[in-house]
Amino acid sequence: MTPLMIGMLIVVVTVLVLATGLPIAFGLGAVALGFMIAFDGWHAVHFVPETVFAGLDDFTLVSLPMFIIMGAAVASSRAGSDLYEALARWLHRVPGSLVISNIGACALFSALTGSSPATCAAIGKMGIPEMRKRGYDDDLATGAIAAGGTLGILIPPSITMILYGIASETSIGRLFIAGIIPGLLLTFLFMAWALFISWKRGTVLVDNDRVYSLKEKFELLPRLLPFIVVIVGVVYALYGGIATPSEAAGVGAMLCLLMVMVIYRVWRPMELWVILRAGLCESGMLLMIIGTSILFGYMMSSLQVTQSLAESIGAMQMNKWLVLAAINALLLGAGMFLPPAAIILMTTPILMPVILAAGFDPIWFGVILTINMELGLITPPVGLNLFVINGITPDIKLQTILRGALPFMGCMVVAILILCIFPGLATWLPTRLMG
Amino acid sequence: MSSKQAAPLPAWVAAVNAVSRAFGVFSAGLIVLSIFVVCHMVFVRAVLGQSSIWQTEFVTFSLVAATFLAAPYILLSRGHVCVDVVPLMITTSARRRLHFVGSVVALAFCAVFLYAAIPWWWDAWTTGQTTPSIWKARMWIPMLSVPLGLGLLCLQYLTEIWLVLSHRALPFGLSTEDKL
Repeated sequence: MTPLMIGMLIVVVTVLVLATGLPIAFGLGAVALGFMIAFDGWHAVHFVPETVFAGLDDFTLVSLPMFIIMGAAVASSRAGSDLYEALARWLHRVPGSLVISNIGACALFSALTGSSPATCAAIGKMGIPEMRKRGYDDDLATGAIAAGGTLGILIPPSITMILYGIASETSIGRLFIAGIIPGLLLTFLFMAWALFISWKRGTVLVDNDRVYSLKEKFELLPRLLPFIVVIVGVVYALYGGIATPSEAAGVGAMLCLLMVMVIYRVWRPMELWVILRAGLCESGMLLMIIGTSILFGYMMSSLQVTQSLAESIGAMQMNKWLVLAAINALLLGAGMFLPPAAIILMTTPILMPVILAAGFDPIWFGVILTINMELGLITPPVGLNLFVINGITPDIKLQTILRGALPFMGCMVVAILILCIFPGLATWLPTRLMG
Repeated sequence: MSSKQAAPLPAWVAAVNAVSRAFGVFSAGLIVLSIFVVCHMVFVRAVLGQSSIWQTEFVTFSLVAATFLAAPYILLSRGHVCVDVVPLMITTSARRRLHFVGSVVALAFCAVFLYAAIPWWWDAWTTGQTTPSIWKARMWIPMLSVPLGLGLLCLQYLTEIWLVLSHRALPFGLSTEDKL
């Protein structure tokens, strides 16, 4: 059997095993172990503990649980509602301020938490009823929040980018910086679409009913600014080379925990356990997937599948943009069924030689891949954000939410195209700041 | 939900769940401790201008240990992410069969991993393996988390399979109303 045929067999078996609904971590491990035993014999099982342990024994991975705890701490507090309220008060004279506040709050809150579902839930709980009350259509109100929530995996610090950095062995600091301009671009595209469609539908865009005093405008800032300072500080420490991602994340986690305890009075043991439990479950789940995906990658490499695939695609001499389009289609298809973490960890070791052979910048590709993963979060059948929004607004049908999210998916595709035409949007800032 | 669900859990299931929860709390403690140690490391380096000796290895090993020791608790609390498209498309009885197949595959992986991890850990213990750093951490300590976590994970899987087969729990935690 040729390595390419083995590769196809691995894909089929992996799809079948994961379709049984078992945890992805154990599914990947079972497939890897099965193929190792089938092709290398029973003695191959003795490589498993060493491979998984050595893969996890990496200080870079420490940043994952730290950033997750940092996000869980912020998500457990009322920071989301304060953020939304503060933006609404400051921007209420701007035409379409409600939509801008909602998407802006999503972008900021998702940067604070790094979690798409947490952002949808925190901002959506207040933003969607408010938008509906002010005459915005249900599809726009829900679609804007579903799409806005996805910004968290692009705007730093992003768990998805950490995973890509680990899998592709590229600088996490560089990836974070690379995500800033595309993140702002996507936020701008979302806002532009929301404003355009609101104006076209004749929604009243200026809120003249309420006037906020300066006191009202300033009273929420002392609660929010410390969190924003920590996030900016973490990104600054990374690009300045002052700290490694793990160190910056560790200090950020400690500061966010302390601020949540002091500012929002989250100090009871059970309240703190909720934060720790969320952090433990998410980071434990991700690290276990990382461990078994390393085993999966080891198996693919030892059976020469990865190398053969890269050589075959290179030998085809396909147009590099065609290769990129095919990769994006593959990622989009996978994103409809699998969570971003699993896709990145499974596909990056296979795709990276192809991307490098085609002459693409791995940092730029990391941004493209992340936007593609964002698309998966609002694409049925398992678009997580759609279900979160459906959970907080049960009276709005899932189809309506999906209809509202569709134009925002178009914005993401436009963003990918803009980044393909102007790759400097992703690569200029990290090159400028980090050399 | 099945009517049998209200019946008290057998002692062995309750015991496995309790140990998994205890391991979960211990693992969360390891993560908190790691946060403190990272901050200490930054302080030692940035403020005192000294080099860190043990912190990097301690934190890395703590998180590896937390990953394996927390795995049974994460399974118990349905925290391991999975692809539930097919389970959502089929009937409850078909879900029960599919859950059995998936769980047996996962259990087999964990059991073989455990089988390989025991001699791997034993070797580190008997030969007194240490890390090559100045700290010379004894490797058997973090490595012990692998067989311990996997052993409990196998038991947790057995309880999950038994609970679903005996109609005391719903397969994948999905109720009959949960559909795509």
